[in-house]
Amino acid sequence: MLETLIELAPEILKATGETLLMLAICLSAAILIGGALGLLVFLTSRGQSLERFRAFNLIANGVINVVRSFPFIILLVAISPFTRVIAGTSIGPLAASVPLSIAAIFYFARLIEQTLRDLPRGVIEAAEAMGASPLQIIRHVLLVEARSGLVLAVTVLAVSFLSYSAVAGVVGGGGIGDLAIRYGYYRFQTDVMVITIVLLIILVQSVQFFGQWAARRVDKR
Amino acid sequence: MPKTPSSTLAIELRAVSRRFADPGGRTVGVQPTSLIVPQGEIHGIIGFSGAGKSTLLRLVNLLERPDAGEVIVHGNTLTRLSAAGLRQARHRIGMIFQHFNLLHNLTVADNVALPMRIAGADPARIRERVQVCLDFVGLAEKADVYPGRLSGGQKQRVAIARALAPEPHVLLADEPTSALDPRTTLDLLGVLADANRRFGVTILLVSHEMEVIRRLCHRVSVMEGGRIVEQLDIADGRIPEGSQLASWLSDFGAVGPAASPSPATRPDAAATPHHFALEAAHA
Repeated sequence: MLETLIELAPEILKATGETLLMLAICLSAAILIGGALGLLVFLTSRGQSLERFRAFNLIANGVINVVRSFPFIILLVAISPFTRVIAGTSIGPLAASVPLSIAAIFYFARLIEQTLRDLPRGVIEAAEAMGASPLQIIRHVLLVEARSGLVLAVTVLAVSFLSYSAVAGVVGGGGIGDLAIRYGYYRFQTDVMVITIVLLIILVQSVQFFGQWAARRVDKR
Repeated sequence: MPKTPSSTLAIELRAVSRRFADPGGRTVGVQPTSLIVPQGEIHGIIGFSGAGKSTLLRLVNLLERPDAGEVIVHGNTLTRLSAAGLRQARHRIGMIFQHFNLLHNLTVADNVALPMRIAGADPARIRERVQVCLDFVGLAEKADVYPGRLSGGQKQRVAIARALAPEPHVLLADEPTSALDPRTTLDLLGVLADANRRFGVTILLVSHEMEVIRRLCHRVSVMEGGRIVEQLDIADGRIPEGSQLASWLSDFGAVGPAASPSPATRPDAAATPHHFALEAAHA
């Protein structure tokens, strides 16, 4: 095993780098676009301050549900023409980042919407009574009161998409999953399989540990 | 159009109504109702559960939009304002709630500063007002503490400081003492009476506790079935005999395990304020 490890060290390093690249791209897209979408879906839901745009709420909810209905591997294949337009290719970590980002955006939008729903209505109402605009409610109330929930949502997102990025390996997406498929599965190198699994466990544990630590730190409730 | 001379009125509701179905499918809310509260008055609204007290209160700052009628606060016809105009007007209408509604991830000082930040006030002015208002409610030493570490009474004091910070013309109080014990209730009524005296803020208060209304209010509106059925002057702390309120008190007034309700004897409220609960504690 140690021999394999040394022999494959450059491959493992490269694969880890590719995984981290895919994660960085899809997490950024999810937090920026998915986060905004989740906030809007929440604010346009019944009883909230942008309720008058409920048409948007219904449409966005429908789209989120449709995208989330796709098993990731199907989404990966189904949108590959679109991926080719965006990334110029359908192979490699950059190409895999396209379906990953799309799945992550809608996944995170739903997570955020549900996290915000846990906020007591009264706090938002108090801000409305103070004359807060919807943007001020987001900035001064939602992002403040829900911040530990939001940190945990990012944690869940990161862990889920670490494993999704490994799925992308099946279609030549690169990354740790790709390594596991090529060596561990096609070449029956069980030790490579074990190394990749251990690597993934370490990554998941660190993300989870750090996420929970951060969530605790920002929670003053 | 001639402008109505309303400069001495803090709150004027003109035939406002608001109807909606409660979870049981019954139509509840406020029937066309009018109410006038002059500047500087502490006005109570009392009634049974479902009488429309809270809805009426929430119509004043348009947290609840009336189906019909006009809402005028400090000479400003809120029902005719744009969304931005209404937000502007709300900067000078304070509100406190039964469950305080403080932000738990903000310190006490930041909670008090919040309405002024929302109104876009100058930071130096905010600091000054936070200091004044926390001093006023006696919690200056808790400025850097998070609300999670305060008692219920302290939380409501912070909420009062927060409501007073932007120097409101009107303070709306929705069952402000219903989550508090009798002694804390008494303390808090003192703070509200003080705010009225020192800052001249008009207070409109909803409560189902007769003792709260009797101790604090100058006048009271009695609500039943979505309308005001009676208005009484109680500035001297006495409920006029023969009024609807007096008859409710004799029917339901004496609370406690005793099955037979005794006529409303006035207990020594200073030692243990007796709660003439007109209804079981609000959900």
